[in-house]
Amino acid sequence: MKEITLTINDKQVKGKEGDTVLGVCQANGIDVPTLCHLDGLTDVGACRICVVDVEKERRPVPACAYPARDGLVVKTNTPKLEKYRRLLLELIFTERNHFCMFCEISGDCELQKLAYRYQMDNVRYPYTFPSKSVDSSNEYLAIDHNRCILCGRCVRACAEVAGINTLDFGKRGWKTMVAADITEPLGDSSCISCGACLQACPTGAIFCKQSIYKGRTADCQKISTVCPICGVGCELDVLVRDNNVVMIKAPKLTQTRGSLCKMGRFELLSQTSARVTSPLVRNKQGKLEECSMDTAIETIANKVREFKGSFGGVASTRVPEETLSQFNKMMHDAISTEYVDTLDGMSYRVISEGIKQFSNNGKKMDIESPVEEISEADCIVVVGADPLKTHPVVGSLIRKARSLKGAELIVIDSAKDPFATWSSLWLKPKAGSEGTLFNGLIKIMADKGLVSREKLSAELAKSLNKYDVDKVSKATGIGKEDLESAANQYGKAKHGVIIYGEGLLQKNDPKLVASLLTLASLTGDPSKDKLRVISLKPNSNSRGAWELGLAGKGLPQAKLKGLYVLLGDEQGSDEILSLIKGLDFVVVQAGYQSAVTAAADVVLPCPIWAEREGKFVSMDGRILKSRQVLQPKNGLLEDREIFAKLSKKLGKS
Amino acid sequence: MSFLDIDEAILEVAKLVEFSTSPITDFKEFTPVDVGIVEGAVCNTDNVEVLKKLRANCKILMVWGDCACFGGIMTMRNMIPLEDVLKRGYIEADSNAKGSAIPTDEELPRLLDKVKPVNEVVKVDCYVPGCPPNAKAILYALTELLAGRIPVLPSDMMKFD
Repeated sequence: MKEITLTINDKQVKGKEGDTVLGVCQANGIDVPTLCHLDGLTDVGACRICVVDVEKERRPVPACAYPARDGLVVKTNTPKLEKYRRLLLELIFTERNHFCMFCEISGDCELQKLAYRYQMDNVRYPYTFPSKSVDSSNEYLAIDHNRCILCGRCVRACAEVAGINTLDFGKRGWKTMVAADITEPLGDSSCISCGACLQACPTGAIFCKQSIYKGRTADCQKISTVCPICGVGCELDVLVRDNNVVMIKAPKLTQTRGSLCKMGRFELLSQTSARVTSPLVRNKQGKLEECSMDTAIETIANKVREFKGSFGGVASTRVPEETLSQFNKMMHDAISTEYVDTLDGMSYRVISEGIKQFSNNGKKMDIESPVEEISEADCIVVVGADPLKTHPVVGSLIRKARSLKGAELIVIDSAKDPFATWSSLWLKPKAGSEGTLFNGLIKIMADKGLVSREKLSAELAKSLNKYDVDKVSKATGIGKEDLESAANQYGKAKHGVIIYGEGLLQKNDPKLVASLLTLASLTGDPSKDKLRVISLKPNSNSRGAWELGLAGKGLPQAKLKGLYVLLGDEQGSDEILSLIKGLDFVVVQAGYQSAVTAAADVVLPCPIWAEREGKFVSMDGRILKSRQVLQPKNGLLEDREIFAKLSKKLGKS
Repeated sequence: MSFLDIDEAILEVAKLVEFSTSPITDFKEFTPVDVGIVEGAVCNTDNVEVLKKLRANCKILMVWGDCACFGGIMTMRNMIPLEDVLKRGYIEADSNAKGSAIPTDEELPRLLDKVKPVNEVVKVDCYVPGCPPNAKAILYALTELLAGRIPVLPSDMMKFD
C-alpha cells in the first residue's frame, strides 16, 4: 500500500493510504484519547473525544473517522482541543446517570479514566437524570441503560464480531437507547449471548452477572489458555482471583477467527454441576459409596483380570493430547486391549474414510481448509450441520460472510434450516438422497459449463450420466429450480466454502463426504493443496485424539464386558449411556457428577479443564497449548497419576 | 471523616488556620471567612439557604466529595417523582407507624424537586471529588490554598469512588 507522509504536532510521520488519522497517530505513538473507537470495528465518530485540528478544516474533526492523506497537517493536543474534550466528557456525564461509587466497572471504566485524565472534578451543565431501565432478562448479560454513553461499540460488535445484528439503536434523538431487536428484552431477543458486546462496552452499561463485583482486572491474574469445548479452539484470557475464575475474555475481540461464544465465555464461567470429589465404588447393595483410591484401583484391576480380552476404553476428546496418549498407553500396555475409541470416533471414521475414497494420496485431514476461509467466502454451503449450536463461532463467521459481504448461504438439511432467515436457499433432500443431491449438483454444474474441463475427469463425467436433473429432483424431492439455482450460486462462486457436520456424519456414510469433496474440488480456484471444505469436528481435541490413532477401529460392542470411560469434563449424553448400558463393569473417570457417573461401577475423580494443561489440536489443525488456570483441590490426582497407579497394579509401569 | 484521615497533618493545618463556623463549633451564623468548605449535595430548602449564606461570607468556596461535586448517591431519588419518594418514605415503608403522613410543618425544610450538586446553586471555586474524598487529595487542596493557589487536583489524585 502507498506510503504517505503527514505532519502531526509539527512532526513528520509516515502512514499508509487507507489509514485514518487516528491509525497514523497510534502507529507513530502519538496519544489521542478515544472512547467510541475499538480496534477492528468500523469507526463512526460517535463520541468525538478524538477530535483533532486538521489544517484547512473549519472545525475539529474526529481522528478515528478522518482519512489520512499525504501532506495532511494535524494537531492533536492544542489547549483548545483539550478544552473541547473535557466539555464533551461533561456533556456525556450529564446525559445519563454515571455515578462510580456503585458501579461494577469502576476502576476498569474507560469513561472514568478519561474523566480522571481531563481532571473532571465538576460538571458545568445541569444533569438530566433520565429514568432508564436495567434489562437483566438475559441469563448472563445485563444492560444498565443508565450507564450507556451510546458509543455504539456494542452495536458494532454485535454486527461485526457476532454477526447477529441483535443490538442497534432504538428511538430517536434525546431518547436514543441501545435496543435488542425491536426493543425486546435481551433475554427474549435474537441475542446469542456471545458476550462480544460485553467485551466491547467501555463503561458499566453491559455487564456479566456471573462476573460482577468479583474483582477488577487489576485484582486478577490473567492466564491465557484454550477453550476446552468445541473444535474451533478459541484462545481464552481467563481472569483469576483467589483460585476462582472471575471472567473469560477473548484475547482480541476482533480477530478474524471470531470472538468467543456463549459456551466459552459464559458456560465455563457458570458451571455449577457438582464435582466428583472422591473415588466411588459400587457396594454389595448396589450403591455407589466413597472409597480410597487404592480400593478403587484394586477393584478395577481385579475386573480387568477377570474380563481379560473383553475390556475396552473410550475417551472424551475434550482432554489434552498428553492425557489421551497416556490413556492409550495404559489401555494397550497395562490393560492389554486393542479396543480403544473416542466418544466421537464414528465422526473420525466417516471423515477419514471419505477423504480416502475421494483421493488416496495420503492427504488426510490436511485437505480441509482453516476456519478463516469462511470470512473470505462468497458462497457457503452448510450441509447437515448446526454450527450456531455446536460451533457458534463458525456460525458467527458464516453470518458475517452473509451480512457483511453478501455471500450466498445454501443450507442442505432435511430436518431444519439452522440459519432460518439468513440463508439464501434451503434444500431439503429426502432422507437417504443426499448422495444423489451432491452428484446431481455436480452434474448440473458440469452441464452449465461451471466446471473447468481439466478438473472433470472423463471417468467422473461418465459416472454423472445417471444424475439427470429430473431424476435427481424426483429422488431428492427438491424442485428443479432450486437445484439449478444452488448449482449456479455455488458453481459461479469464486470462493465457495462447504461446511458439514454432525447431521451428515451421523448418516455414517463416507461416500457422502467423498461426494462433497469432489464437489469442492471442481469449483472456484481452490488454493494449491487444500479444498474449501470444513468438517465441524465436535470437540476441542477431536483432531488431536484422532491423529493419535485413538479412533481407528471403534469398539466391538458385542465383545465388550468391561469399559473404562475417560469422561473428563463431559457430563454424558444419551449416546454414552447407551454405550455403557448392559456392560458388566464400567469405570468412569470424570470431573463432574452426571448420569454417566451414576451408572458406573467405579468412579474416579479427575481434574477439569481449568486444572489441566496440555496440547490441543483444533478442528483445522492448529496446535494449541492449554494452561492450568486453577489449582485443584488437595489430593486430586492428575489423570496420568491415576493411569500410572492402575498400570502399576496390573504389573506395568 | 476523610478530613480526619489526614492524620497528624491536621495539627499543622490547625496551626495555620482558624476554624470558624462548623458543625463542630456549633455556631449557627456565619462570619466572614477566607475559605468555606461544603460537603454533601443540595437536597432541601435549608441546604440552599445555608449554602447561600456561606457563599456570601467566604472568599473561596471549596466542595468535598462526590455528592457536593456531582450530586452523588443522593441523586438516586432524582429518577423518581418527589411525591412518590415522600410517600414511600413516610407512608409505605414498613417502619412507619399506622396512619403516619408526610410531614407538612412549616418549620421543616422542604425537599427540592431534584437533588443538585453545589455548583448548580452557588458558584464554587474548587473541588475535591471522591466517595469518600481521599485524605491525600484533601491535604493537597488545603496545602494549595494555604500557599495562595486555587487547587485543581492532578489526574493521578482524581478518584470518584
